[in-house]
Amino acid sequence: MWLNCRLLSLPKIAGYPWKVAGSLQTSSRAYSVIPPPRDREEEEMMHRMLRVDHAGEYGANRIYAGQMAVLGRSRTGPLIQQMWDQEKKHLAKFNEILAENRVRPTALLPLWNLAGFALGASTALLGKEGAMACTVAVEESISEHYNSQIRALMESDPERYTELLQMIKEFRDDEMDHHDTGLEHDAESLPGYWLLKNAIQLGCKAAIYVSQRV
Amino acid sequence: MAALLRGLRAGRLLRGLPSVVAAPASTNQQCSSLRRSFHCAALRLQDESKSDKSSASSSSSSSSSTTHHEHYQAHSSHQDTEAASQQDPDPNSSDREQDEEYETEEQLQAQILAAALEFVPLHGWSMEAIAAGAESLGLSSASTGMFPNGSGDLVLHFISQCNSKLTEILAEQHNQVQLGQAERKKTADFLRDAVETRLRMCIPYIETWPQALSILLLPHNIPDSLKHLSTMVDDIWYYAGDRSTDMNWYTKRAVLTGLYNTTELVMLQDSSPDFKDTWAFLDNRIQDVVNMATTAKQMQSTGEAVAQGLMGAAVTLKNLTGLNQKR
Repeated sequence: MWLNCRLLSLPKIAGYPWKVAGSLQTSSRAYSVIPPPRDREEEEMMHRMLRVDHAGEYGANRIYAGQMAVLGRSRTGPLIQQMWDQEKKHLAKFNEILAENRVRPTALLPLWNLAGFALGASTALLGKEGAMACTVAVEESISEHYNSQIRALMESDPERYTELLQMIKEFRDDEMDHHDTGLEHDAESLPGYWLLKNAIQLGCKAAIYVSQRV
Repeated sequence: MAALLRGLRAGRLLRGLPSVVAAPASTNQQCSSLRRSFHCAALRLQDESKSDKSSASSSSSSSSSTTHHEHYQAHSSHQDTEAASQQDPDPNSSDREQDEEYETEEQLQAQILAAALEFVPLHGWSMEAIAAGAESLGLSSASTGMFPNGSGDLVLHFISQCNSKLTEILAEQHNQVQLGQAERKKTADFLRDAVETRLRMCIPYIETWPQALSILLLPHNIPDSLKHLSTMVDDIWYYAGDRSTDMNWYTKRAVLTGLYNTTELVMLQDSSPDFKDTWAFLDNRIQDVVNMATTAKQMQSTGEAVAQGLMGAAVTLKNLTGLNQKR
C-alpha cells in the first residue's frame, strides 16, 4: 500500500533516479551511510549530527502518537496515521545508523518522549486545525534543521558524504510533504495560529540546541 | 618546567625539521643519518637539561636555536653528520634502535611509560618509577620533565593499554563467532568473562593498585579516568551485542560500570587463591542484575496486561451506560 503511494508521489521528485527513491524505503539493511571517520573531530561532528537527528525523529514520532491518541478515531485519523508511519520509518533508519556507528543517543530521550506526546495531545485537543498547525510548525523546524545540516555537509565535502546527503535530503522532502499537508488541511484557520506556530518553533529550536550537546 | 619546555620545543623541532630539511633532494642514507643526528641532539638536549636545570627561558631558546643551527649544518655536509654521530654519548647500536622505535614525542613518552611499568612494584606509581624506566632505556632520568602529571600519566597509560588489550581480545572473540568457529555466549556470561579478563590484567600490580586508584581519583585525573572507564564499558557492551538507542543505552552502561568498580574494589582486599572470592562476587552480582532485568520485564508485561484489563472494563462500562456511541 505505502509502496504504491510512494510510486504515485515520484513525479514530484522527478530529479531522483528511481532506484534510489525505492532502495531507501524498501530495504532496512543498514548499508554504510556514514563514511568511516578520518579523525576524532569529524567523528564528534558526525555523532552530534546523528544524535540530534535521532532525537528529532523520536520527538516527531511521539508528537504524532499524541495526536493519534486524541484524534485517532476522528476523520483526520488516517491522515495522521499515514504521516506517523513515515516518521516511524525515519526513526527506524536512524536507529540502525546509531547502532551501527556506536553513537550515543541523547540522554534527554525520556524528556522528548513526554514533551512530544504532551505537545501532540494538547494541540490535537484544539481540534483538527490545532493538530495541523502543530504539524506545520514542527515540520517547518525540522526541515530548516535538515537544510542547515545539508548546507554544512555540502560546504565541507559533498563527495565524501554523498549517501548521508541523499538520505537527509529524502527525509527533508518527506518533512516538507507533511508541512504542505498540514497547510492544505486548514492549519492556518486556527485562531492564534501565529502565536502557536512561533511558540512551537521556539521550543523546537531549544530542543535541537540542547540535544546537540547533552 | 623549563626542562619540559625545552623537551617540547626539541620535539616540535624534530617533527618540523624533517619536512623542511628533506625538501631538497636527499638520499635514503642521508635521511637515516640525519635522523640519527636529530636523535643525538635530542639526547644531548636532555642531558643538557639535567646539568642545566636553573637556566632561564632565554637560554633555553638559545639552546634550541643552536640545535636548529646544528641540524642545518648537519644537512649541508656528510662530514658534519659523521662528526655529530661520533660525538654522541650513546653507542651507535642503541642509537640505531631508537631510530626505528620512535618518530614522535608521543611514541617516546609511551616507550618511557611502558618501561616504567616494570619498576612500579618497586617504586609504586610515581616519578621514581618513570625515572627508572627512562634510565633503563638509556635516557637521562630528567626525561621525567616530559611528564608534569607523572604518576597520573603512568596509571592512565597502563589503563589505556589494558583497555586496548581487552578490546583486541573481544574483537577476536567476535570474529570467531562471526566465522562460526565459536558459540555465541549469553550476555551474562559474556559480561562476566570480559570483566574477569580485564581485572586479571591488574593482578601483576595488585599490591600497588590501591595507590593507582587513589591517583585516578585526584581531581585533575578524573576526566581522563572517566573517559577510559566509559569507553571500556561501551566496548564491552558493543561486543556483547548491545545495539540499543534509547535509555537502555545508559542504564546498561551504568550497571556495568557499577559491576566493574565494585568487583575491582573487592579484588583489592581479596586474599583467596587466584582471587576466586572475587570471581564468586562477580558471579553473584551479575546474577542480581539478571534477576532485576527479568523482574523488570515481568513487571512491565504485568502492567500492560493490567492496563488492558482496565481499558476493557472501561469500554464495557461505557457500552453499558450508552456513552460510547459515535456521534
